[in-house]
Amino acid sequence: MSKSSWKGRFTVLVLLLFIAAGVGAADAAQVLRIGVVGPESGGGAQLGQGQRRAVQMAVEEINEGKLAGEWTLEVFFEDDEGNPTKSASATNKLIQQSRVNVIIGAIHSSCTLADMVVTSRAGIPQITAGSTGASITQQGNKFIFRTAANDFLQADALVKYARDEFGFKKVATFTAADDYGQSGAKLLREACEKYGVELVAEPTYNNGDKDFKPQLLTIKDRGAQAIFMWGLYTEAALIARQAQQLGVDAQLFGASGMAALKLIELGGEAAQGLLLTQTFLPDSDHPKVRAFVDKYREKFNESPIPHAAQAYDTVHIIADAVRRAGSNDPRKLRDAISSTEGLELVTGDPRFNDDGDDIGKRLLITQIKGDKFEMVKFVKAGE
Amino acid sequence: MQFFLNGLPIGAIYALVALSYSLIYAASGVLNWSQGDMVMLGAYVGFTVFSILKLGFTSALLLAMVAVAFLGVLVQYTILRPLRERKAPPINVVIATLGVAIICRNLALGIWGPDPQILPSPVSSRPFSLAGVSVTPQDILVLSVGITLMLILHFFLKNTREGKALRAVAQDRYAAQLMGIDPERSDAVAFAASAGIGAAAGILVAPIFFVTFNMGASVGLKGFVAAVIGGLGTIPGAIAGGFFLGVVESLAGGLISSGYRDAITFALLIVVLWLKPSGLFLRKNRQKV
Amino acid sequence: MKSIMSSRRGLAAFLLLLTGYLFTPYFVTNLYHLHILNLAGIYTLVVLGLNILSGYTGQVSMGQAGFFAIGTYVSALLMMNWSIPFWSASAMATVMAGLFGAVIGIPAMKLSGPYLVLATVGFGEIVRLVLLNWTPVTKGAAGLVGIPLPTVLGFVVTTEEHFFYLILASLLAGVFIALRIADSKIGRTYRAVREDELAAEAMGVNINRYKISAFIISAMFAGFAGSLFGSFSGVTSPDNFTFDESVGFLCMSVIGGNRSIVGAVIGAFGLTAVSEALRVFQGFRLVIYGGILIFTVIFMPQGIIGLFKRIRGNFSVKETN
Repeated sequence: MSKSSWKGRFTVLVLLLFIAAGVGAADAAQVLRIGVVGPESGGGAQLGQGQRRAVQMAVEEINEGKLAGEWTLEVFFEDDEGNPTKSASATNKLIQQSRVNVIIGAIHSSCTLADMVVTSRAGIPQITAGSTGASITQQGNKFIFRTAANDFLQADALVKYARDEFGFKKVATFTAADDYGQSGAKLLREACEKYGVELVAEPTYNNGDKDFKPQLLTIKDRGAQAIFMWGLYTEAALIARQAQQLGVDAQLFGASGMAALKLIELGGEAAQGLLLTQTFLPDSDHPKVRAFVDKYREKFNESPIPHAAQAYDTVHIIADAVRRAGSNDPRKLRDAISSTEGLELVTGDPRFNDDGDDIGKRLLITQIKGDKFEMVKFVKAGE
Repeated sequence: MQFFLNGLPIGAIYALVALSYSLIYAASGVLNWSQGDMVMLGAYVGFTVFSILKLGFTSALLLAMVAVAFLGVLVQYTILRPLRERKAPPINVVIATLGVAIICRNLALGIWGPDPQILPSPVSSRPFSLAGVSVTPQDILVLSVGITLMLILHFFLKNTREGKALRAVAQDRYAAQLMGIDPERSDAVAFAASAGIGAAAGILVAPIFFVTFNMGASVGLKGFVAAVIGGLGTIPGAIAGGFFLGVVESLAGGLISSGYRDAITFALLIVVLWLKPSGLFLRKNRQKV
Repeated sequence: MKSIMSSRRGLAAFLLLLTGYLFTPYFVTNLYHLHILNLAGIYTLVVLGLNILSGYTGQVSMGQAGFFAIGTYVSALLMMNWSIPFWSASAMATVMAGLFGAVIGIPAMKLSGPYLVLATVGFGEIVRLVLLNWTPVTKGAAGLVGIPLPTVLGFVVTTEEHFFYLILASLLAGVFIALRIADSKIGRTYRAVREDELAAEAMGVNINRYKISAFIISAMFAGFAGSLFGSFSGVTSPDNFTFDESVGFLCMSVIGGNRSIVGAVIGAFGLTAVSEALRVFQGFRLVIYGGILIFTVIFMPQGIIGLFKRIRGNFSVKETN
């Protein structure tokens, strides 16, 4: 063989190698790995599974529509059973083994807090789409973000509405004895003080409790005109029913944690007229909401719960962030997430403050009429 | 007063579950930790019968009882029997039935999903006033069906051959064996009956409290507490314990504190056990000395 | 029952394993795996306590999580509210747990079988509910955050690797103490009580005192483990100490072999590892887990240690007492 053809072949080979390396490197660099932690068994299973479904749907949508620029999303799920220790282990596994760049998790505030210890140590951004415990964003932790609904706004809006529209003077709270419920209880108490409404009873219940009559009887005895509930829909539906059975005719109020169509189904007649705050209304005409709800219903044969909507939005926020950051480096990702703006999503227009809370969330006061939620009032942040 | 009455229908449910525990403990000397999950499965089977097969409440009730009773026998045969043959310590049985509970719970989660389901009630839930307190027809239904079941059980134990055999085995397993009674069969009967009763409790509970895959945990524990308070292994004790627990819970929750309600119940339980180590209705300690 | 480690061969095997284990952080670079090992180590201490209680005196406790919780919360609160250094806080937490061990031990001594089970369950739940509702002190449902890290001779234990050595050292200390107890007069009395309570009583043993002391010791093990756990996790809440946790400890105890010290190690490490390993099965994970429990308990009635003993029994005629 002549020398020149040798050189030729050699050059082609080197060129090919370069191209292969370039393509290979490009492939490897353009994948964003997302880890999701949530309760897929145990008490909060409906929330965790809703989160999972929504995330899956969002990831598919984003990959198909190339909404993350050149980035492909890969997602890994782990079950934390609602147990903080298991949640931390799951987070550890996702970071160390699945090598994720960002974590969505968890739902239970106690689990989110436990996970934060792991993510902050590893320098990985963490977004919780379901935890509302106040302490989560008060740790001075720069890696945590929250796209869950803002409890403070909700409590404030509810009490204000009760006073303005109904003129109630005596009210009661009936809250879950978990972090979500107790955070709500505190905020409701403060709102009552702010608006000059008397709080006559503040009983609590444990998740999974079936009998609420003792507490309801106490509330009835003390003459409460309204009951502010703060918990999930199963217990709320039971409370509504039992209140009706006991002849308690106070107006019922609730927050986004129980805002699911299942509440109407389970609560039946007793749930009619219940007022609650939500970040998204499954029957709203807003194009983004419609698109999301229709697609979810078609795919999973049921209506999405609020946690699902929030999780869905969270993935979109992440996709947008990675597109802007142009890198899946956790720190750059973190910075990109914190500067999110201009996105119009299902639950609002996300904007994160310094603590990591999303202050762009849409807030609606809705009422149960018939078999759906009807919009009553639109609340702007800071009103 | 309202608190007291409120505790009764729940007490009936606890009583039924307590009966299941006591029955199995009396007959085979073991604790079946999956009893609560039988309740859950009964409710789910009933729900499926009702909503998919579109049959009525009574059919749902009967079918569920039979189906879950089968499951009970299955558990006895595949788990209790081998453990007995190997002379395993009682704690092993607890753990084995715990395993059954975990499996039941998560299979239910897989089959029916995590959302609570509702079984429509055959009677209305509108309250009416009875002697100044609020009662619903549902409460009456629960109480009446519950008491009927207890009576049926009582009749069964006293007057049928299987029932008498069960009592013989409960009293003295070895002697009963000598007399030609097959204790394994009695075990199976006990498991079947307990599971069936549990299923019935589940169907009764479903319209009022909804069905979730997780409900077995708390129902089972409460039923167990009730059985022990009354005296584990005795029928009247289980019934009394069940109603006692229901009422105490209601009173404690309403009059003292809702958050600490269960803590108060448990504290009370420990005090009861301290004063009467074998429960309220057992005359002497049933431990074989 | 003599511990496997009392024989010379057993001791040699143990030392060999230990030396290997010492180097684990160098081989296991995956922090997740290290994390699991650390968790298992902490759990082993809890199960050790449980084994002393059930293995030696035959008393069952389904409330071990309660003592674990007391250890965590007391130690964390002492450190956070009064800036008490870790070791003092831990010691006080351990004593506190022991005190509660007496509190439940006293009513428990009259009970046995299912009645004892229930009393201990009740205890565990009461502890959890108090932690949940006593908000001014325990911060209730929100739990405690920012639990301080332990300092050893001026060195702050921060990373997973640091904790590995700390936990290992604690574990060794715990095992050593358990062995001393087993070989001491107390230990022998415990075994006598388990084998035949009536006979022991006839011989003049004050059964009640020994039963209560078993509860106290078992509680102290769990309490100390709890204090480690708090600093290790950094945060805690009542969700960590549910009835399911107590059940988990019990399973570790029984499956490992509840009459043996090595059994505690095997049970804790084994079940923790298995539980994590099953994650690959996603939805079926817990169904399989339940199946494993059933299977183990039927085919290995004395736990995994029992299996070893049977195998060994086939080779040697060495008697156990």
